[in-house]
Amino acid sequence: MNFVIPRLAPGDPIEVIAGRLMAQGGSSVDLKELVLEYRRMFGLDQDIPTQLLSYMGQLLQGNLGYSITVFPAKVQDLILNALPWTIGLLSLTTIISWTLGTFFGAVSGWRSKKSRLHDALNSIALSLYAIPYWLMAIILIFLLAYVIGIFPLSGGYTPGATPGLTLDFLKDVLWHAGLPALSIVTTSLGWWYISMKAMIASLRGEDFIILAEAKGLDQSQILWKHAFRNAIIPQVTGLALSLGNIMGGSIIMESIFAYPGLGWLLYHAIISLDYPVIQGITLLIIISVTSATLLIDLIYLVIDPRIKYGEQ
Amino acid sequence: MRYKVRLPKLRGFAERIPRYFRNWNLRIGFTVFSSIVLMATIGPFLIPYNPIRFGTFKPNLPPDSTHLLGTDSFGRDVLAQIVVGTNQSLTIAVTAALIGTLVGMLLGFMAGYYGGFIDAILRSITDIWLVIPMLPMLILIASMARRTEIWVMSLVLSLFSWAWPARQVRGQTLSLKNREFIYMAKLSGMGNTEIIFTEIMPHMLGWILTVLTSAVLWAMMAESGLEILGLGPQHTITLGMMLYWSNLYASIFRGLWWWWSPTIVMLILIFTSLYIMHIGVTEIVNPRTRKEGG
Repeated sequence: MNFVIPRLAPGDPIEVIAGRLMAQGGSSVDLKELVLEYRRMFGLDQDIPTQLLSYMGQLLQGNLGYSITVFPAKVQDLILNALPWTIGLLSLTTIISWTLGTFFGAVSGWRSKKSRLHDALNSIALSLYAIPYWLMAIILIFLLAYVIGIFPLSGGYTPGATPGLTLDFLKDVLWHAGLPALSIVTTSLGWWYISMKAMIASLRGEDFIILAEAKGLDQSQILWKHAFRNAIIPQVTGLALSLGNIMGGSIIMESIFAYPGLGWLLYHAIISLDYPVIQGITLLIIISVTSATLLIDLIYLVIDPRIKYGEQ
Repeated sequence: MRYKVRLPKLRGFAERIPRYFRNWNLRIGFTVFSSIVLMATIGPFLIPYNPIRFGTFKPNLPPDSTHLLGTDSFGRDVLAQIVVGTNQSLTIAVTAALIGTLVGMLLGFMAGYYGGFIDAILRSITDIWLVIPMLPMLILIASMARRTEIWVMSLVLSLFSWAWPARQVRGQTLSLKNREFIYMAKLSGMGNTEIIFTEIMPHMLGWILTVLTSAVLWAMMAESGLEILGLGPQHTITLGMMLYWSNLYASIFRGLWWWWSPTIVMLILIFTSLYIMHIGVTEIVNPRTRKEGG
């Protein structure tokens, strides 16, 4: 799957590079010879089954091959360079918005009385959910980077800054992550809020809640000890799924902000048909999605005492 | 004879429509969305010039009385582009959603109704399809097409819009399959196809509407997401392509707010109205949250 689909695309990555070299004016070598040489180097002159076999063989040895467009770079290195940016930004924002959304959702689902604040929160959450993050990103760029000017426009750090574990660089990174993070947190918050609220509200009429009320427990205790624990299960599933999806889910955001993460890498690989890089990243995405699904089953054991595997 | 069994159900549905519209979510969502559709259908006929051609007017004009929303850097009227773009965007999204829902509906019906081997195969295909990272695949496919047309765009989107409807419809069919009236129909000698269309379908109508509204919403989001990367129909105008061009020409930082903001407002209006409509239909269909009013 991961191997076949990129190759179905018409067009030849080597021609793309040759065209770029031509445009740069550095065509001192005969271009046709160069193309052939490149093809031989990447094994693209062989037929597809041979290519697939050698890809599988390399993969088993943990070798993802070399990038075609950024030639001397190994795919592993490209991915490893981009990975921390994506994981750092997206896991943090996902967890922040999950925590906030779940908390406010629980509180607002528990209040059965209608109030102004309640209605306002609801409609804000609904409209936030219906706005995709890239629209929010454009609005935020306008407000915070153009009108007020407190955030930088794009990039992961100031050009020219030396990446390293210094405090200044860290501050720079956080400052650049501000806008993308804000747009993701605000838009995904709505969904966590809505789903948690619905769960808590549907639990209100259940027998065990009525029993807890009959025992005379106070409201906050019932909410956090009885209702919350039951309602949290689907929320955890959602969190694990969206954490598994972060590898592939940030392409649009990263290309709007020119953020040096996996999505940016993948987008450029796709545009220039860089097969090894596309394959490497899609493999990573598939692995992370499936392992997240596995993780959910394992987490259930811990948070839901009703589920036991291998017992009758 | 058999049609007499079916018609009262559909008529009952039609009679209940005014009651459904007591649901505020459905009412608001439907009103906003249908006025957008109306504008997008009639609007293009009212524009006396070609809104796609470059240099029709002076570039970068701020909004005034002749150009209500100004012009862009190519000298095109923004309002005219919005009208035509909404039309094209909705065409793409609705076509993709219709194809996806129809295919998904058929597959879901078959899987749920026949069960067994067919179900096992269809279900595993659907599950695999749902796990595939969709956005990278869409980008890949969209970047393959050398010249993206409106219909190419909707076909590409419909490749991925059938799996979710299929799963939803399968679940519903399973829960309907073992009800008594289906046994009655079988006993009375109805064929499988006939049972699906005359007995199960009318009960599924509401569910299919919820699936359809969410499919349109999904297709619209995926479409504008692809187009904002520049992977849409480059030779015509859609809402996503408008955002792409305005981003490419840094409209935000050149202070051309009238170029990008109307597009965003229009997209948000479409998204929220579809979503509110979806909530409304779900509230009516789902017996646990039924709020038909009255």
